[in-house]
Amino acid sequence: MAAVIDAVIFVLTPFHFLFLFIGVAGGIIVGALPGLTGSVGIILLLPFLFYVPPAVALIMLSGMFCGAIYGGSISAILISTPGTPSAAATVLDGYPLAQKGQAGKAIGVATIASTIGGIISVLCLIFIAPQLARFAVRFGPVEYFALMVFGLTVIASVSGASLIKGLLSGFFGLLIATIGMDPVMGYPRFHFGVTNLLLGFPMVSVLIGLFAVSQIFVELEGVGKPQKVFNQSMGRVLPTWKEFKGLLTVIVPSSLLGTFIGIIPGTGGAIASFMAYNEARRFSRHPEEFGTGSLAGIAAPEAANNGTTGGAMVPLLSLGIPGDVVTAVMLGALMVIGVRPGPLLFRQSPQIMNSLFVGLMFAQFLILGLGLLSVRIFPKVLKVPVRILFPIILALCFLGAFSLSNSIYDMLIAFLFGLVGYAMRKLGFGTAPVILGVILGPIAEQELGRALIMSHGNWGTLFQSPIAIFFYIISLFSVSYSLKSGLRKAKPRTTG
Amino acid sequence: MSDKVTAKSDVVVGLILLGLAILFFALSFTLPVRRAGLSPTTFPRFVTIVMALLASGLIVQGVRKQKAATAVSEKRSADEVTRRRRYALRFVLLAVLGIGYTQLIRFLGFVVATPFMMAGTMLLFDEKKWYRIVLVAVISTTVLYGLFRIVFRVPLPRFDLW
Repeated sequence: MAAVIDAVIFVLTPFHFLFLFIGVAGGIIVGALPGLTGSVGIILLLPFLFYVPPAVALIMLSGMFCGAIYGGSISAILISTPGTPSAAATVLDGYPLAQKGQAGKAIGVATIASTIGGIISVLCLIFIAPQLARFAVRFGPVEYFALMVFGLTVIASVSGASLIKGLLSGFFGLLIATIGMDPVMGYPRFHFGVTNLLLGFPMVSVLIGLFAVSQIFVELEGVGKPQKVFNQSMGRVLPTWKEFKGLLTVIVPSSLLGTFIGIIPGTGGAIASFMAYNEARRFSRHPEEFGTGSLAGIAAPEAANNGTTGGAMVPLLSLGIPGDVVTAVMLGALMVIGVRPGPLLFRQSPQIMNSLFVGLMFAQFLILGLGLLSVRIFPKVLKVPVRILFPIILALCFLGAFSLSNSIYDMLIAFLFGLVGYAMRKLGFGTAPVILGVILGPIAEQELGRALIMSHGNWGTLFQSPIAIFFYIISLFSVSYSLKSGLRKAKPRTTG
Repeated sequence: MSDKVTAKSDVVVGLILLGLAILFFALSFTLPVRRAGLSPTTFPRFVTIVMALLASGLIVQGVRKQKAATAVSEKRSADEVTRRRRYALRFVLLAVLGIGYTQLIRFLGFVVATPFMMAGTMLLFDEKKWYRIVLVAVISTTVLYGLFRIVFRVPLPRFDLW
């Protein structure tokens, strides 16, 4: 109990609470602006993270994550453009309701559902993550290597349209990770005589380039196209008590569904929100209202996608493997500030974890407060001209890359990876698998090296642990499932 | 992009990635081999072999798609052609601006180079009002300088031409 009170005091310290507030408010704005996602938001926070204690950085990042997932619903409701992929299902009923002059109520329901979804998922995180970490603390190098193999198979799940391209992106990330010192012997590899490459590519710069700078090039394509704005009345914000009571039967199961899906690595908010939407329609007494501005059609995806936030943090915090794209970027950001998520984090820094849990809970209430109080400001946020926004983001990207090691070389790498990221996006290659490869590759190699040293070079040691075998089996299952669904997607094209 | 163009680009990218995999695989022979434990060559070789296989798969897939795709002539309107050309020009200029900024900042310093980079980017994003360009470029640079140099004490590059 004393630890919880300490964590509450820590989070409510004005300086710490300010960073949580910046994270959540920034997340809502980033999520609301089409083109900017939670991943970009986290990357824009990077330059600020180096100057705050790790616990504060962690609650700020988590606030940004939750805020961005919620923020995506605002543009989905007001201008029919989901700010983040997670909010795609919210468009189906949010936009029609806004067109009926009830945009305020649509945002109000989305805010309440997101808050409840977030609270339920944080509670699940608090109960599940420490148990999982307690179990994982027994892991040795063999189990860790198997776990990283499983983490890498997530690449297949986040591959997007083409499995082969997704896998190639992931292996491109692994190849990038082999440049520089090898993590076992410290022998320099593939540096081509360039001194800066002796330490490999700076991970922060690669992250900034692939996610944020490449987005600036994508936005450049839209120059000259009119920016979508919302000029209608907002109407009433809060649903009636009767409406709210009716929605609880949708919100609670959708939140639990979202949390469960979030825990499965490689899924994410988009899948959860569409599944929750379908389930809500299936169990509804008025399924015909879905798609015409149904409140349940807004509440279900919003509760589910915010439910994934806590769920996605379960594997991230307890095992050190990301649950989705945003948590993959978050993993990179955490490693940069010296926090390596995993079971040892619970044992070595329990105060950081307690602060995170309390911070996440406060983040949900901040979403509720900010969401309901700012309803009339949101249409103005969407009017921020991209011609002002993106030059500032570019400057922040350069500063973020520079801040880590005060190196102009890092700025250049961030920009060059921005070009690479843009080319990859245009050619249908996802950038998320690259990040997974860059982050998890060296850890996998290091753990494999340790396992082989401990077993005096016996490769058979990798298959002697039941836990490791379990991870290999679910890795195989994960890859074969992705292969199967990839083939199913490709079939109509080739035969048709 | 049409199916035919996508298939062609898949083949080209597949060839590039295959070349990259072969290059790194070949270079791995210059690394020392360790008898016991994990050699520095093991992981890169595994990665490059799988990458080469996947790249070959992409090439085969691209070639098959190219054969299957019907030759649909994509006629673009004059407006579309002009828009694409403008975008290509903007893309090149932003790439030059970004790379140029990273090269010039070491001589000009953050305070001098950043407003120009921001003004250039705003122009490329079609901002036409000069006073807005000046205001945004100067105010943003000042705020970022204040925050990072004064508050966070980041040693931002300074004017150092000589």
